[in-house]
Amino acid sequence: MVTGSSQIWAPWVMDDIHSKAELGRYRIRGFSSFQNVTHFDDLTFLSTGLTRFPLEGYKERCNTRTVIGGLNAEQPLVLETPIYISGMSYGALSANAKIALGKAATMIGSASCTGDGGMLQGERDASDKLVYQVLPSRYGFNPHHLAGAQAVEIVVGQGAKPGTGGMLMGIKVQGDVAEMRDLPQGIDQRSPARHPDWLGPDDLAVKIEQIREATDWRVPVHVKLGACRVDDDVKLAAKAGADAIVIDSMVAGTGASAEVLIEHSGIPTVPAIVMAREALRELGLYGKVSLIASGGIRHGADAAKALALGADAVAIGLGALIALNCNKEIPESNFPEEIGVEAGLCHHCHTGKCPVGIATQDPLLTQRLDPDEGAERVANYINSMTMEMTLLTRSLGKSDVHSLEPEDLAALTLEASAMARIPLVGTNKVFGE
Amino acid sequence: MAAKGEEITVLNPNARHNLGVAIFDMCTIRFEGSVGYYAASMLDGPEVVIEGNAGWALGENMMAGKISVSKNAGASVGSTMRGGELFVGGDAGARAGISMKGGSLIVAGNSGFLTGFMMQKGRIIICGDAGEALGDSMYEGTIYVGGSIASLGADATIEEISEEELLDVLAALRDHGIENKRSFTKVVSAKKLYHYDTLERLEKSAL
Repeated sequence: MVTGSSQIWAPWVMDDIHSKAELGRYRIRGFSSFQNVTHFDDLTFLSTGLTRFPLEGYKERCNTRTVIGGLNAEQPLVLETPIYISGMSYGALSANAKIALGKAATMIGSASCTGDGGMLQGERDASDKLVYQVLPSRYGFNPHHLAGAQAVEIVVGQGAKPGTGGMLMGIKVQGDVAEMRDLPQGIDQRSPARHPDWLGPDDLAVKIEQIREATDWRVPVHVKLGACRVDDDVKLAAKAGADAIVIDSMVAGTGASAEVLIEHSGIPTVPAIVMAREALRELGLYGKVSLIASGGIRHGADAAKALALGADAVAIGLGALIALNCNKEIPESNFPEEIGVEAGLCHHCHTGKCPVGIATQDPLLTQRLDPDEGAERVANYINSMTMEMTLLTRSLGKSDVHSLEPEDLAALTLEASAMARIPLVGTNKVFGE
Repeated sequence: MAAKGEEITVLNPNARHNLGVAIFDMCTIRFEGSVGYYAASMLDGPEVVIEGNAGWALGENMMAGKISVSKNAGASVGSTMRGGELFVGGDAGARAGISMKGGSLIVAGNSGFLTGFMMQKGRIIICGDAGEALGDSMYEGTIYVGGSIASLGADATIEEISEEELLDVLAALRDHGIENKRSFTKVVSAKKLYHYDTLERLEKSAL
């Protein structure tokens, strides 16, 4: 008997076809891409030896303070760590989760960000530094909230689903979530993909000026891009006047999206950062317009590598949620019974049945997340990441995480070499050049 | 720029963009001339009068107050507005009232394509003709058209207008000196796109 299994028609591919044969539509899920793409693990740091001296890894001062958007804003966003919490909506997340993220950001001297659903007052109260998003839907958009923000982020695209709008299934469009969005209760919300009031980059320049007027030119205006046509998009956003550009890659998380978009659009984080850096350099704006990377930042090494490649800061979403207990069996939960999979395999944020109270609006499930305890875990996690970054930075003989640079890295694979534009280990060759 | 109770006249606005943005104090602002993009946007309270034309996104995301433009308004007039009243004395461009979340948008002339696109709440009155894809993907809210409708958008449907509604519309127009319109077609959401037709097992169990 011949044995083996098809790589093309794998069991999960057949399951996917069976599901679509029943559904008659694209499938929806949350979490992040399952693709095995080039990532930070394919890069390694070249720490010091005899050519340079390390700093004492555990003690010597190493700066992590980060200034974002100093180009035009009177009050740039100053963070104590180059890691902040990216935009995730109240609606996709519970109020307790949003408040926990806001508190965590305050505890570590960083920022949190609103998301596609308006500003939850609880997050505003908890977060000293809040980035207010301007999304195509403008759900809950309030100029008073805008005026009180510490930074503004115009969202052009999201890495997990570039070229389309947000999604929130009816189970979550309930109560004040629906009211804040001015939507009928219980509808399957599919947000607009295009901004209602501007279309191209020339319009964006006027939009940015409008936001500066509304915020008295105080705070930085970021533009968030789903990483696809990075070179063109970054140049156009920078020329339109962005103080900072957030480049969100294909491995970034989402609370709900058509799976076909999660898996089949966008580019990975490593080349996205490098392309964005080079686009800014070509305009003479590298180091002036801040570059923020997001998508698949799991630990301090990922964050440090992102900075070495050219980012000024990183934004984390899924990592912060995992610190809140996403995919962890807790005493109150029973993943197999409640969501149908073991903890660690859950990507069902869109169902609203999150067993740990994060991605839900169910009042009983929400109680499973204590915002104070959650905030402490997220703050610990980001503090750990920051310490990992400084440890690596000192091992490279540097006293500032912002001094990390591409020559501190080597590529472990041909693909990483080509995408990161860094020599392959054991060679002096950058492949693809 | 403006203080409570003040009356401000802006001479020669020269169609500049971003005039009168995010003004929250109750005051009156008069622009004697045309304005560019985003005039009187993010407004909360003031009364704004524009003697001329307006560029894109006049009154974008206004929360409350009154805006009146004597001539034409460009694309996306009243986009995402959440309250107040916006009156266009001439024609409105494409995407008038796009993603509206409240308030009242009145157009004395015609409006362009995708008027009321993804409208969520509020009222749009078009005295003249409406362009293609009227009310496409609207969630709620109501659009009244006095002239012809080039085509309805996805999930938009015509519903019979009640006598009471018609009187409301006529009263709103009378406030702006429009007396000659007597009949309107009412367009609302058919609500057929509110939900996915089918759900996976886990999605069903959540409901």
